[in-house]
Amino acid sequence: MKRSWRQASALYGGLAALALIIGLPFWWVVTGSIKLPREIIQREPTMIPHSFTLQHFEKLLQASDFPVYLLNSVIVAVFSTAFTVLLALPAAYAFFRMEFPGRNTLYRTILLAYAFPGVVVLIPLYGLFAKVGLIDSPVALVIVNVALALPFSIWMMRSFLATVPREIEEAAVVDGAPTTTILLRILMPLIAPGIASVAIFAFISSWTEYLFASVLIVSDARRTIPVGFAGIIGQYQIDWGLLLAGATAAIVPVVALFAFIGRWFVSGLTEGAVK
Amino acid sequence: MAGLSLKSVKKRFGETEVIRGVDLDVRDGEFVVFVGPSGCGKSTLLRMIAGLETTTSGSIEIGGRDVTGEDPAKRGIAMVFQTYALYPHMTVATNMGFPLEMAKRPKDEIDRKVRDAAKILHLEQYLERKPRELSGGQRQRVAIGRAIVRQPGVFLFDEPLSNLDAELRVQMRIEIAKLHQDLGTTMIYVTHDQVEAMTLADKIVVLRAGRIEQVGAPLELYENPDNAFVAGFIGSPRMNFVPATVKSAQGNVAVVTAPKVGLSEVAVTTRGTPPAPGSDVSIGIRPEHFVPAEGAAAVLSGKITIVERLGGVAYAHAQIEDGNTITVESRDAREFTAGATTRFGIDPKRAFLFDKDGRRA
Repeated sequence: MKRSWRQASALYGGLAALALIIGLPFWWVVTGSIKLPREIIQREPTMIPHSFTLQHFEKLLQASDFPVYLLNSVIVAVFSTAFTVLLALPAAYAFFRMEFPGRNTLYRTILLAYAFPGVVVLIPLYGLFAKVGLIDSPVALVIVNVALALPFSIWMMRSFLATVPREIEEAAVVDGAPTTTILLRILMPLIAPGIASVAIFAFISSWTEYLFASVLIVSDARRTIPVGFAGIIGQYQIDWGLLLAGATAAIVPVVALFAFIGRWFVSGLTEGAVK
Repeated sequence: MAGLSLKSVKKRFGETEVIRGVDLDVRDGEFVVFVGPSGCGKSTLLRMIAGLETTTSGSIEIGGRDVTGEDPAKRGIAMVFQTYALYPHMTVATNMGFPLEMAKRPKDEIDRKVRDAAKILHLEQYLERKPRELSGGQRQRVAIGRAIVRQPGVFLFDEPLSNLDAELRVQMRIEIAKLHQDLGTTMIYVTHDQVEAMTLADKIVVLRAGRIEQVGAPLELYENPDNAFVAGFIGSPRMNFVPATVKSAQGNVAVVTAPKVGLSEVAVTTRGTPPAPGSDVSIGIRPEHFVPAEGAAAVLSGKITIVERLGGVAYAHAQIEDGNTITVESRDAREFTAGATTRFGIDPKRAFLFDKDGRRA
């Protein structure tokens, strides 16, 4: 379809506006992290940095607890992601293909989990974790993150499973493949983009989770980045340079994950299977 | 190799009965084709034989063994799907070896059998390719290869050629026929294309609305159909049906007339006792069985609306006086002129008579 110049300019103008809304804060954070402190707090903000310094990063890595927070965040996020994917795949397959009583009702109700704000379950969960001795443990965060990410992940994974032609599974059944083999050797490679999407969703959910991490983790040495960094905002003074450098450094693992997993986002994985 | 037997097989999806009691015996090594219009249940029946659909009642035996409740992999069958259903992330060799791998056969045996099948199907140079790097015909050959390596008792084909273009379809049809000759294995083949059915089958099973209408050799169905449905379905272009009335009957000959279309008395031989005089019937005449009007026992006249000239033969579509359209074949492409009112001769010996319920009279 050929667009008129009006349509094209409206489309590209709209896209540019969206890109600006999303990109500008990133630009602000990243450029702010290399500005001298006086330029950061200058009355007239500068879009293009006039000064350049790595002093905030130096302070971040040498004089703050950032490396500890980073490590904690990475551990929690990696385990949360792994468990989310490992549980979402078979659960989604069961909802997608297996016959059991209450399947459709259950599938519809899992998303209800998001109807309640996290803060509602915070106190009961705290009590629960306290009883089993998991307060101040990253295990508690992993459990919470997996529980929070799972309903949407199952829902998303099921839609990806639905894109695989039924005949491929039937051919595998005729070939004598048991259900686990069909899931692991046939379906999993075919829905790699879906698994990648779920992994990124779970990773980011865990990476940015604040509420539970702020309550379930007590000691400073076990804090994750969002909570640890909240401590930088002092009552009387904020070290903006350090905060911006920390925010910039916190983006890096997410970008790296996208770059690593992005390879799986290739279309046409099932090309050649049918027709 | 194995024969197959279906006994009172039924299939119900909720309230809808899609297979309404099918009895069928397939001899070892036979090539059986299920044909019928869409929704007649032919694919469902095949999937029930494969074990991909459960059987509501009745029993399915393969090689003398009741497999009604058995897993597909344990039935001794292999299936080729309409959409090929190859594993897109695996190479041709892995695709073909997959069933053997699942059966935990040793690697050297898998390699050997895959190579043998690839040789039969001319796929040797493609073994390391992925399905997306193959043409439609090659993909279908891989799907057939995956079936061959298992050395099944029964091959099941679910409209395997419908995704291919016309030329490739003819080529693959010949290859499947050759494969059957070489392997001698029982094959059950589902198609809606009656040309495929006629050319491939030892035995055709015509299905309608979940029931078998007739079973027989291709020429048997063509020459001796049980009812108007089978008569219309087998043969291309389809048989013409002209409504008529029985004027008199004697022995196994009925004299019918159709004054509306200018058809005076035609004596048609019936299978059994002819319908009583005065009954409504229809005369079935295949397009290829019209004869020159001069000297013909009976004549139909109609105005030619369209002429299709295919080179070797030509088809005239003509409107007869009751408003119905008939199709007439001629070896002489110049015989028909669009717009002309033409007389078409009928050979009563090659005409069929059907009662008002469509049963062969």
